[in-house]
Amino acid sequence: MNSVVVLILGLVVAFIGYRFYAKHIDSKIIKSDPKRATPAKMYMDGVEFMPTSKNILFGYQFKSIAGAAPIIGPIIAIQWGWLPALIWILAGTFFIGWVQDYSSAMVAMRNDGASFGGLSHKLISPRARIILLAFIYFYLLLIAGAFGNVVVSTTIALKAAPMAWLFLTVGGILAGQMIYRWRKDIILTTIVTVVIAMAGIWFGSIAPSDSIIGASLANSRWVWAIAAFVFCYFAAVLPIWRFALPINYVASYIVFLGLFFGIIGIFILHPDFTLPAYTGFSIAIGPIWPIMFVTIACGAISGWHSIVSSSGTARQLENELDARPVGGGVMFIEMMLALFALIIAGTIYASSAEYGAAIAKGPGGIFAAGVSKFLGAIGMPAALGRSYGSVMMIVLAITIMQLVIRFMRVATSELLSDVSPVFRNPHIGTFIACVLGMVLVMTGWWQYLWVLFGGANQLMASLALLLVTAWLMSEGKSAAWAFWPMIFMFITTIAALLYTSYNLLIKVISGAVKGEALIGNTLMGLVGLFLVVAALILGSEGMKALKRYRSITKTQAAAAAKA
Amino acid sequence: MSEEKKKKGGFFGAVKEFVYGVAAHDSARFALKSRASMEHLFILITMGDMLGVPILPPYYSLRLLPYVVPQISTWKRRMLKEKDLTDGLA
Repeated sequence: MNSVVVLILGLVVAFIGYRFYAKHIDSKIIKSDPKRATPAKMYMDGVEFMPTSKNILFGYQFKSIAGAAPIIGPIIAIQWGWLPALIWILAGTFFIGWVQDYSSAMVAMRNDGASFGGLSHKLISPRARIILLAFIYFYLLLIAGAFGNVVVSTTIALKAAPMAWLFLTVGGILAGQMIYRWRKDIILTTIVTVVIAMAGIWFGSIAPSDSIIGASLANSRWVWAIAAFVFCYFAAVLPIWRFALPINYVASYIVFLGLFFGIIGIFILHPDFTLPAYTGFSIAIGPIWPIMFVTIACGAISGWHSIVSSSGTARQLENELDARPVGGGVMFIEMMLALFALIIAGTIYASSAEYGAAIAKGPGGIFAAGVSKFLGAIGMPAALGRSYGSVMMIVLAITIMQLVIRFMRVATSELLSDVSPVFRNPHIGTFIACVLGMVLVMTGWWQYLWVLFGGANQLMASLALLLVTAWLMSEGKSAAWAFWPMIFMFITTIAALLYTSYNLLIKVISGAVKGEALIGNTLMGLVGLFLVVAALILGSEGMKALKRYRSITKTQAAAAAKA
Repeated sequence: MSEEKKKKGGFFGAVKEFVYGVAAHDSARFALKSRASMEHLFILITMGDMLGVPILPPYYSLRLLPYVVPQISTWKRRMLKEKDLTDGLA
């Protein structure tokens, strides 16, 4: 199949999904009302609750949800063949992905901008809130581990990446200084800092890391894992304007330009898929069901999006009608990003053997090679293109990772400060988060780590859909469009997590793994099992709540019939 | 932003807002959150005696009260609103 056909297919699915399915749900079931006051208007405080233009929120939502996951998932999942991956990306987004993103925003909006903790307490049970929050902590740990692994493997596979990353960091810190301390013009700041970051990409291509620090250090996982977590450490403990945000600001231009010109490159080159459409039901990572459905996470559906939609976007929407373009529309854009990654993985290698050799080194190298090829179509030299692709990959991973570590620091303080005041110290919380993340990165096989992250992410999505279903039933609205996706995702993710945890722990019990792998397998297996147990308790509580709502609805219907 | 202004912006206005949303909206939100934290401290200092913590002599509290009054309702709402771990993420 030709890559342009895939892009056009994606656009058609997005058009039908957004224009017809989403509009039907929005207008007939949810009954969005432009005259209803949103939490942003009702509780405007100029901080969290603030009416914001839908165009701004569209960009904000896109930036918040588009991390490394929609790119890495398809690159790994193409091992089952490009056709199953393509079908899951399209069908997953159409039937589940946008449903979750849109409805998470809507349920929060119709409940005074409450976040998931409050919603689970109100709609399911008091116990559900505590379990959900504990679940989220371990889910974030898996994000830190999986994305940390991406950073490490990319810096090792692409020797241009460290220099580009360093320059980006310098440019970002300078941006913070220029904007907030020197009060310089934003356009001047942007030009200066983006040029510095671009210079780093060029410099990386002519001065690779092994030529500067030697091959042994440049190929050391320890070195780059420490670098990644030191970076996240600063992001977590420094004021957010000083480090994390300005780096994200500069990085967003690099990512945005790369994606824009990369897609143009696909249209110019319009290559055919060279990898097989289908390879088999079971491969080294596991069987196509359930494992592929969690390997491709954000490109089809992602629990992360529901957190952004409910805690961030829902408090800024100025009109209920904006929830469809912002919540739903952005998910379809994310789907296009996943298709972009699928095209890269499926078209740039001549054979499965070549792809197999590349994926063994990590997905970052494949992405960078694809970016290089498609940017080459508009005239960028190959080495520079690879450098550009490598820094894009690092940026997409580390921007989420630094946020996660920062958040885990806050969570540690909130959860454990009653146990001992020492946990109130920001350095302690950050250190704990970094050490746990480091252990996962250094000891776990990255493909299993990715599957566990994907499983936790999709499970989070099914829990979000459970909350949405409970809310729809409590309101007496039709809930099938959220209920069946929730059931599918719940069963699939539980199966995926159990399968992966079993595979990890059985190696520990049988003594098949030793040393670092023993620690990695044990930790990952136990985290996976914890997530399964937490999700089962939440699922059980949720089903009780759904039964309760159904009996209330029946009683009301019977009373209405009598009257 | 009024409807008229939005229409005037047209396509390029929408693109400009989108780019702002991608690149800088987060920074603006965090800046506002930082300011709100400072305001919370300011209100605590000014109105501490209401909570049984007389930080400022009443004379200065009363002099500062007019500057604090506009913030009280949103401050109260922010303080009383249920928060959880996900609030820090977005």
